[in-house]
Amino acid sequence: MPVSLKIQTPPPHGGKLVDAVVRDENKAVSMAAGLPVYDIKPTRSIIDGNPIRNVYREVMSIAYGFFSPLDRFMTRNEVESVLKERRLTDGWLFPFPIIFDISEDDLRKLGVKEGDRVLLRLKSQPFAVLDIEEVWKFDPKDIADRTFGTPERNPEVVRRRFDEKHPGWLIYRSMSGLALAGKVHVINEPVFKDPYNRFWYPPAKSREEFRSRGWRTVIAHQTRNVPHTGHEHLMKNAAYMGDIEPCHGILVNAIIGAKRLGDFVDEAILEGHEAVNKYGYISPKRHMVTMTLWDMRYGNPLESLLHGIIRQNMGCTHHMFGRDHAAVGDYYDPYSTQVLWEKGIPSFGLPAPPYDVDKGLKIRPVNIKEFWYCPKCGEIAYSDTCGHADVAQRFSGSFIRGLIAEGIEPPPIIFRPEVYRVIVKWWRVYNYPFVNRKYLELKERELEVDLKPMEVSSRR
Amino acid sequence: MPYKIAVILDKARLERIRGTSLEGMVKDLYGGYLKAIELNVPDDIAQRILKEFPRARIDARGFIEETPVAFKRELFEVMAQLKSTGPEVFGELLKPERLSRVKEAAAKEDEYLPPPNIAYCG
Repeated sequence: MPVSLKIQTPPPHGGKLVDAVVRDENKAVSMAAGLPVYDIKPTRSIIDGNPIRNVYREVMSIAYGFFSPLDRFMTRNEVESVLKERRLTDGWLFPFPIIFDISEDDLRKLGVKEGDRVLLRLKSQPFAVLDIEEVWKFDPKDIADRTFGTPERNPEVVRRRFDEKHPGWLIYRSMSGLALAGKVHVINEPVFKDPYNRFWYPPAKSREEFRSRGWRTVIAHQTRNVPHTGHEHLMKNAAYMGDIEPCHGILVNAIIGAKRLGDFVDEAILEGHEAVNKYGYISPKRHMVTMTLWDMRYGNPLESLLHGIIRQNMGCTHHMFGRDHAAVGDYYDPYSTQVLWEKGIPSFGLPAPPYDVDKGLKIRPVNIKEFWYCPKCGEIAYSDTCGHADVAQRFSGSFIRGLIAEGIEPPPIIFRPEVYRVIVKWWRVYNYPFVNRKYLELKERELEVDLKPMEVSSRR
Repeated sequence: MPYKIAVILDKARLERIRGTSLEGMVKDLYGGYLKAIELNVPDDIAQRILKEFPRARIDARGFIEETPVAFKRELFEVMAQLKSTGPEVFGELLKPERLSRVKEAAAKEDEYLPPPNIAYCG
């Protein structure tokens, strides 16, 4: 039987999209009735107290199917399976522990045990229910170290020991050490605020959108940044890797959540990417912007596995990967994501690339090197094509942030004026162009969502 | 690995260095849209800068970036005063009194940076 050259939409990772959202209000109210109540709290950095994570985002990403087949907060056994083999207990690839941590004091006040159900509140309103399968203790530092790897255990890609300067490591390190494991269901669908509302495409909806657009092949672009023209060229060129024709669509999926100090604010990231298609630099017929709620772990190759899972679930056929994917600092080799997707990383439980292992991924990587400005070519050029590496002027996000901070408009060859104006718009709102402590606190107070009031009986 | 730091020159800064030896060191970036002077930074000085300003980092090109605006401003001032890009610039810049002034100004930058006065997409 000949194999078609035409690539089809991959199935969700694990075979089926999780849908743990209760849309029937009567059922939701009845599920929540008489339950002990826990008000979701942020994880605060043990170093400076900044809010660095809010578990509501993980509830959302589980319940709406982004993390399929994961449908719960992990038990001890599942976390061990993930840390040893980067697999769930049913064998499907999954890179990170997803832990609902709680303080000893809060657990005591709740008075719950295995087999009980807890009502999770967000902004003082009912939000979700968690069915407790296990209550278990852990050492946050141990989980943090084993999540990201060490130079000794993972020499292929880890270059130095992780520490509190790594924002992802710090998230795990700052957890409480006590976990509630079990399935979670959203019972009161949050309402996204502007501008987030127009970028919310959970996997069921994104797959439907691709169908209605006639996008058979779709390449995902991961972002936590406002786009410069290097990103734009990455998208445009990576999209040529379709099958019998270039990819029909480019899906920008921005990771939205608590970020490290100095990153761009989430609103600017979303609207900045939107400006790329709004002003025609990439046609809106071929480019759309979406978001996933997740407090980034900045885990480079491991993060890329999660990105592959999310975007396969969203219906993407391809995923572009560049240098320093989802990275911060020099903890990992700059090309470790591409190593993973080309050869695998045996010490992380992947003796072959994620698409070549059992219960792996079906999304195809497109490993791209870098784009730079070449004064001799007089244009943005691809590093493997341009023969003028000695005079190439590389893109540097840090350099661009430095220009912006000094009040200098970046030149249009590296930054579209309309995208710059989005940055200035949100700069005026927050008096600062980047994430700072004030923004983190405000973001934690406001979040991306509001909850509709829901009356729940205190009696079962 | 040798490190570098770039000082971007707007019209006012270009005017300040006109007629000096610094003028010949001006480099065109990105097709001439930006003008800059690049200084070489010895490793020990680079490590000192990274230590004094924890958010500063060395990017993939080997340039020290994400230093406070106050630091870059002061770097230009010292460079213009000494009319030099040599190591003596950093010697002067990192003197305790000057450094503490820079840090005081930098601390305010964590909360507020004046946005540029341009029209923006509403």
